[in-house]
Amino acid sequence: MSKISEKAAALLQEGAIKMIIGYEQGTEHPRPIFCHTPEDCKKLIFNDQCKNNLAVYLTKKEIVDNDKIGVIGNFYVVKTVIQLFLENQIHLDHFLIMTVDEAGDIITFGNIDEMKQYVASHEPPANPTVLAAIEKIDKMSREERWAYWKTELSKCIRCYACRAACPLCYCNRCITDVNCPQWLEPWSAPLSNIEWQINRIMHMSGRCVGCGECAAACPLELPIGLLTKKMGMDIKDSFGEWKDGNVLSTYKVGDKENFIH
Amino acid sequence: MIEQNNNNFEPRIIAFVCNWCTYAGADLAGTSRIKYASNVDIVRFPCTGRIDFMLLLKAFAKGADGIIVSGCHPNDCHYTSGNFHARRRWMVFRDMLNFLGIDVERIRWSWVSAAEGAKWADVVNKTVHKIREMGPYTEYKKAAMFLEKEKISYE
Amino acid sequence: MAGVEFATDYKYMCSDPGQNLIKQAIKEHHLDGVVVGSCSPRMHEMTFRKVCSEAGMNPYLCEIANLREQCSWVHEKCDATTNKAIEIVRGLVEKVKRNKPLQAIEVPISKKALVIGGGIAGIQASLDIANCGHQVILVEQSPSIGGHMSQLSETFPTLDCSQCILTPRMVEVAQHPNITLYTYAELEKLEGFIGNFKATIRLKDKSVDFSKCTGCGLCMTKCPQKKIPSEFNEGLGTRTAIYTPSPQAVPNKPVIDRENCNYYKKGVCKICQKFCPTGAIEYDKADKFITEEIGAVVVTTGFNVLKTDFFSEYGYGKYKDVITGLQFERLASASGPTLGEIRRPSDGQIPKKIVFIACCGSRDPAKGLAYCSKICCMYTAKHAMLYQHKVPDGESTVFYMDIRAGGKNYEEFVRRAIEEEQVNYVRGRVARVYEKNGKLIVKGADTLLNAKPVEIEADMVVLATASIANNGAEDLAQKMHISYDPYHFFAEAHPKLRPVETNTAGIFLAGACQAPKDIPETVAAASGAAVKVVSLLSKPTLVREPLIAVVNRCAPPQYSTCVGCFMCQTICPYQAIEREDITDRRTGQVIKTIAKINPGLCQGCGTCVSFCRSKSIDIQGYSNEEMYAEVSALLNK
Repeated sequence: MSKISEKAAALLQEGAIKMIIGYEQGTEHPRPIFCHTPEDCKKLIFNDQCKNNLAVYLTKKEIVDNDKIGVIGNFYVVKTVIQLFLENQIHLDHFLIMTVDEAGDIITFGNIDEMKQYVASHEPPANPTVLAAIEKIDKMSREERWAYWKTELSKCIRCYACRAACPLCYCNRCITDVNCPQWLEPWSAPLSNIEWQINRIMHMSGRCVGCGECAAACPLELPIGLLTKKMGMDIKDSFGEWKDGNVLSTYKVGDKENFIH
Repeated sequence: MIEQNNNNFEPRIIAFVCNWCTYAGADLAGTSRIKYASNVDIVRFPCTGRIDFMLLLKAFAKGADGIIVSGCHPNDCHYTSGNFHARRRWMVFRDMLNFLGIDVERIRWSWVSAAEGAKWADVVNKTVHKIREMGPYTEYKKAAMFLEKEKISYE
Repeated sequence: MAGVEFATDYKYMCSDPGQNLIKQAIKEHHLDGVVVGSCSPRMHEMTFRKVCSEAGMNPYLCEIANLREQCSWVHEKCDATTNKAIEIVRGLVEKVKRNKPLQAIEVPISKKALVIGGGIAGIQASLDIANCGHQVILVEQSPSIGGHMSQLSETFPTLDCSQCILTPRMVEVAQHPNITLYTYAELEKLEGFIGNFKATIRLKDKSVDFSKCTGCGLCMTKCPQKKIPSEFNEGLGTRTAIYTPSPQAVPNKPVIDRENCNYYKKGVCKICQKFCPTGAIEYDKADKFITEEIGAVVVTTGFNVLKTDFFSEYGYGKYKDVITGLQFERLASASGPTLGEIRRPSDGQIPKKIVFIACCGSRDPAKGLAYCSKICCMYTAKHAMLYQHKVPDGESTVFYMDIRAGGKNYEEFVRRAIEEEQVNYVRGRVARVYEKNGKLIVKGADTLLNAKPVEIEADMVVLATASIANNGAEDLAQKMHISYDPYHFFAEAHPKLRPVETNTAGIFLAGACQAPKDIPETVAAASGAAVKVVSLLSKPTLVREPLIAVVNRCAPPQYSTCVGCFMCQTICPYQAIEREDITDRRTGQVIKTIAKINPGLCQGCGTCVSFCRSKSIDIQGYSNEEMYAEVSALLNK
């Protein structure tokens, strides 16, 4: 058994942890696994193909109740857990958050500060394909950009897989469900699809951890990951590094823009 | 005051303003009888912090060719920090709209205080002039009316 | 327009006949919404809402369409303008259809005021509030009230003896039936909101039981620690470890300074306890905490003066004879360390040549204090005059940049110093002060004589140092959630129209804690703040406009669409958002924690509304539905 499986099995056997969420090998890619017994733990793996953001399960009442759960997640899972904690969505004492280092050893986080330290020093490098795509769009003229996005987003079927995959989309009533007034038409239409993405990005401002699961979940492989990445880059330029997600709920007197006169 | 161009196109512009500064400034322009273009409809909010970014998009979708958003100068907000929060919101919003190819040049953001009646008139006139040159925001309206059977027409 | 039952026009709708027209229409047609197309709502919204209310319709179902200042007065007379007027009315018709009837909010009020700081501002405010029949709690950090005014010798422009005009007020405060005075006490915590504050006050332990102490002063004569620098005398005199700050202290009973007392430091002595005739001295008692229910707070914590060690070029705190203006006051004061004679702190000699340097630290963006400290020109003139009175053959020189003497009789006072008292006024700055052969060499320039260098061999140099915010101002401001500027002066709500209020409802300001002030202005501000407090406390309840934010509630199991992320709590400028636990009625278990807006604190800015991602907060009067309808209607043809 690998080190991870051993450790996970040991935790389950000790009894304090009732379930461990981690990754197992899927048909083509790794996928999440919910281990209830040491036998289940044998399937646990961890490598750089493990991309799913397991934190999405942590706010679901069907999965998480009063038992203590272990999570062996990737960098983004840890970052998301911090953000969820800061937004009062999880009780940290219900979870044992773990990740795996380069040597394959489990790192267990005892408290939020340890998680913050880890996140501050282990940021994975940006995906060069994504950066190149963003640069290409930046170089287009405005009309070209509008044409590009209108074409791409017209294909959106409003399945909301992007919303379901995102751990920070935990509202029990989404903006699309608000009907007094109806901000977003719920059916698929070119403008309405663009408005949906704009809302998603604005609501993610400062909170998005950059896991890219929204783009991965899209059944039509629409380039929505470019939007979250671009938003993250712009926010970092304008307001500094991610700290606690409070980008739009705080301000600095010295915030500088060049378009308000 | 209203210029006639070949197409007879008169832009429709909605202004989202805060009650304590820009709305008062517009009132001052009124009491000073400063004349400005009538293409702008003013919508009053208690504070720029209250202006939801979706309202701007809805304005475009329903036929506005241009938008003005205006409030108190930084540090002067009646509610101390509403305009600071609004400023951050606009910074993120504008960058995202620009990336998506929405014409952010059609949105004029400004700080107009209650004493700046003349500045308000100037903001209105310059914005109307600019939007008139840019023409109607047809591409947005077309996208908005995708499922409507009517053709787009304007007076 | 759809939904409009009745429409009419009248030339002067705000007049009585116009108002009656509206009232009649409401009654006849059973209207539940009114749009008045008229002048700006900033003029007459209240008028028309009152009219609707009198006619039996909820006043918040009335909206005003601005057809004058924002339409007819700014556009040419033509069809386009008329169309715009129609549009504006249509927009508001659609909005008012979604308006909800609202009731003004009533918040109960605790009928007690808290005044923090017992200087002249605090004393004046306390007396004014108490004389209106309301209870006041006055908290002062030092062992006596009086503040800096009690340290002054004479006050400009009348040269009244400061103590003589102040001490009667101090005694009045101590004896007033409506004022509870806590000295040697501090504000520990302030919770709650306007009308309903809960203040926790720390009563530092004095080691003296005031109920037994008679103020005989025997302990002070017996205390062996006699050489402690006296704060009241600005370090120029000494005091004992068991002490009153000055002979005119109110209350005139001593406290023990634990940091310098032999017993507290080394465990020996206890002489004061031995000699005390009433057994009032008790050691080692803990600080006490009391809590009070307060309706309003007045902050009058005053100011401090910049110390001389800030000015390395003027002597870096190293020359004993380079002193601050406040130290000069103590020298000039008849009850001071030199009994009113101007003497050099170094050797006790009377200085024959004295130099006053104005603007030390003030008006200096390079060193950090860009503002003018306001009072220094006047007190420098006063000091020079007092010096000339006391040392008639002395020579005094004042180095100044400008003379700011704007108050009543102030200019005449300065003229008197220059023309009658023969004080030498030199317009120029001082570059350096250094010691040579026991004299202080002052090197300055006279800019009115083309920057001619001026060098004076002075016996004493008095620096008119800047007025700065008091120690601990930042901490206190944060405790009370009031704003402060980069200099730590507390921020007023509006610099012109609301100078004695803060942006925190129920907390008022007066005196030098807000900005440098002289005594007349301080007293005026204190009375102003007192009136604001009295107007608040005189009402049976606090009535507020209901245009505030509300978090939605719905049926279980959701209870609210709010998911409890509380980022709105961070965004609210008034800390008006609280956390509310939804608990199971029988087990008491917390089901979820959601946001709740405190109706007493919310000022209705709506920032939280546009921020909330799930749209769980809405604001009455400018709700999402109303604004969406208005914008849509404006663009509908």
